[in-house]
Amino acid sequence: MSKDPTRLRRPVLPQGSTAWLFAHEMRVSWRNLLARRGGGMRSTVIAVGMLLAVAGFAGVPLGLAASHVEIPMTRLSTIFVDLGVVMVGSLMLSQTLASAAEALYQRGDLDLLFSSPVDPRRTLTVRFLVLALNVFLAFALLVSPLFLPVALIGHPEWLGAYGVLAALALTSSALGLLLAMALFRTIGPRRTRAVAQAIAAVIGAGFFLATQLRNILGGHRSGSVWNEAMSLARDPRFVLPPGADWPLRAIMGEAVPLLAMLGGAVVLFFGVSAWLGRRFARDAAVASGADTADVRHRHRPMRFSSGAYAATLRKELRLLWRDAALISQVLLRVLYLMPLGFLLIQNAGMRQSLLLPGGAAGLAFLSGQVAGSLAWITISAEEAPGLLVSAPTPGWTFLAAKLTAAFTPLAALLIPLLAALTVLSPVTGLAATVGCAAAAVAAGLINVWYQKPGKRAEFRRRRGSSWFATLAEAIITALIAAAAGFAASGSIWGLVPLTVAGALLVGLRRSDEQITQAIQAAD
Amino acid sequence: MTDALVLRSLRKTFRKPAVDNLDLTVRSGELYALLGPNGAGKTTTLRMVAGLLRPDAGSIQVFGVDVLADPIAAKRLIAWAPDEPMLYDRLTPMEYLEFVAGLWNVPPDIAQTRAEDLLKTLGLWDDRNRRCEGFSRGMKQKAALAGALIHEPKLLILDEPLTGLDAAVARQVKDLLQARVRTGATVILTTHILEVAERMADRIGIIQQGKLLAEGTLDQLRARTGETGATLEDVFLDLTGERTEAEAVAE
Repeated sequence: MSKDPTRLRRPVLPQGSTAWLFAHEMRVSWRNLLARRGGGMRSTVIAVGMLLAVAGFAGVPLGLAASHVEIPMTRLSTIFVDLGVVMVGSLMLSQTLASAAEALYQRGDLDLLFSSPVDPRRTLTVRFLVLALNVFLAFALLVSPLFLPVALIGHPEWLGAYGVLAALALTSSALGLLLAMALFRTIGPRRTRAVAQAIAAVIGAGFFLATQLRNILGGHRSGSVWNEAMSLARDPRFVLPPGADWPLRAIMGEAVPLLAMLGGAVVLFFGVSAWLGRRFARDAAVASGADTADVRHRHRPMRFSSGAYAATLRKELRLLWRDAALISQVLLRVLYLMPLGFLLIQNAGMRQSLLLPGGAAGLAFLSGQVAGSLAWITISAEEAPGLLVSAPTPGWTFLAAKLTAAFTPLAALLIPLLAALTVLSPVTGLAATVGCAAAAVAAGLINVWYQKPGKRAEFRRRRGSSWFATLAEAIITALIAAAAGFAASGSIWGLVPLTVAGALLVGLRRSDEQITQAIQAAD
Repeated sequence: MTDALVLRSLRKTFRKPAVDNLDLTVRSGELYALLGPNGAGKTTTLRMVAGLLRPDAGSIQVFGVDVLADPIAAKRLIAWAPDEPMLYDRLTPMEYLEFVAGLWNVPPDIAQTRAEDLLKTLGLWDDRNRRCEGFSRGMKQKAALAGALIHEPKLLILDEPLTGLDAAVARQVKDLLQARVRTGATVILTTHILEVAERMADRIGIIQQGKLLAEGTLDQLRARTGETGATLEDVFLDLTGERTEAEAVAE
């Protein structure tokens, strides 16, 4: 008798069990990942091929070279590994906190799961287990092409590093959940989403900011945090706290520290999940619609703006301001920009300093990147494209308003910095200003020409949706940044990258008809 | 008097013809219901009228304005409200109306007064400062309808405006549409709720496979099928040949 293909398969795992739920979540995650990558196996095969190529051409030679190298268990290596663990842990925590806070507000299938007879603690445990797994996989994929060949060729005991990574992923997921819930309790559902995203951005940039603290505060240049670590290791008065060498010993494959770290992380993860499971379900119900109120206009009538340009600009600025995830992303870039800005201003008087051209180039590049991100949001992530198309307004009016909206927050951030720089060092300030403006305009134009309808929620993953635009944006803004750097140093060599950038822009230009065709093809 | 909408030999093909040499005329000031089975080409037709899709062939005239030759002039006269409300989750209804009014260049003071009137009429006044993301389906539909009406279009095109609405909201929407028609506006709507078309529409057009099968008042359609006193549902099933299918399923 032939099988009826329409009949449901008998589940392998007991329905409603943790393993069954986990399998379901993994299937959904995997399908979402495939859909984000363009839906096909082709892009997955390309990505895997690239990883294998890096492993083959760089990882294997590195592994052969390092096969006889032993890492000494010294104070220096201990401090270095601990710093690495703090760095990776803070990046993971940034990600898990943002995801945990977001999960409180996502309706999607949570309503279905919480309305089912499945214990909410189980639902929460599985959801965060998948989160921990995703965070672990992201970092494991990043290091594996180089690290895995090194470990497999000469140091199989170093595979313990994956255990440390898993322990960090579980710990950061538990801490992210704890922090999100604490915020929810303390500041309420209306503010938690935005504040959690902002804190996540600060934590994400925390390690970098800590290394740049002296630059920001205006002290003498510290070189790098690694130099500081070396001098600390040489200081006989400095005593390492107990257990400080566990991460290093675990990475080296010592069973006791590795199992202790993993065991501690597992206990913390499942303990927090069990403790907060029911509360999470309750808070998620409270969060539903709680952040939708807006009381600003309650007691005074709103003044309407006049004309399509003004109305679109106002609408875009409102939407940008109200996008908590976007604010965190921009904040993250600003946090990276801050030390650079302070460094430039401090060194503005030193004519011979190499920092000035480098800083001008850095500012121009970051300006292009931020402008590109914001332009993607305002142009490609339009929520009601049909409304705009059906309006009696020429398309360029919308694009002009959307680009203005994208540049406005960037200008607000950069103008004080560039003004101060121009006063202190006119040539550097002028080069940086022109470079920032040119990079922003170039990134904006690329986003106009290569717009591809997307959702605001896909902001973090937009690179996958239009890789060509992202690549073009990065190359052209880098060329403009180089031109700004040359100009800041008084060299005319800046004309070379500037000409190349201009030629590339001319080559990339698309007519209105081509843009429309591309959008329709993407639909 | 100029007709509100004139379609001549309109054609649009995706994988197969969605609209196939369609000729259709909607008179000024009438409420016209465009009916048809799923995939008949109703939405494609209306999207072409609203300027969201370019036809492969044929012509579209809205109050004498050629939509393909002068789309901006035509769009000034039209409002398009699809079945999925075109809203912004993070805007309040008032902010949304401000934006839409700006798109159609409605002077701010007039737009403000109209927005207040519309929100009060549609029962959204108390929610005017809440973001749309927390709204129910019915509230979203009403906010979108307010957006479609804020520039007082001469031709209002609605795709399934009553889907998913409760009885009270559906009644509000129907009353509002009829009030617009009384003031001289033309309304074209698609619906799967045939009682709505039966009660509200001045004329009904039935399309199938991108072609106009029949058109007229309910009595004219009845006469065509030879069923005096038949409901629109009977007439529709007869004309589209779906009655036999429906009966087979029932049996």
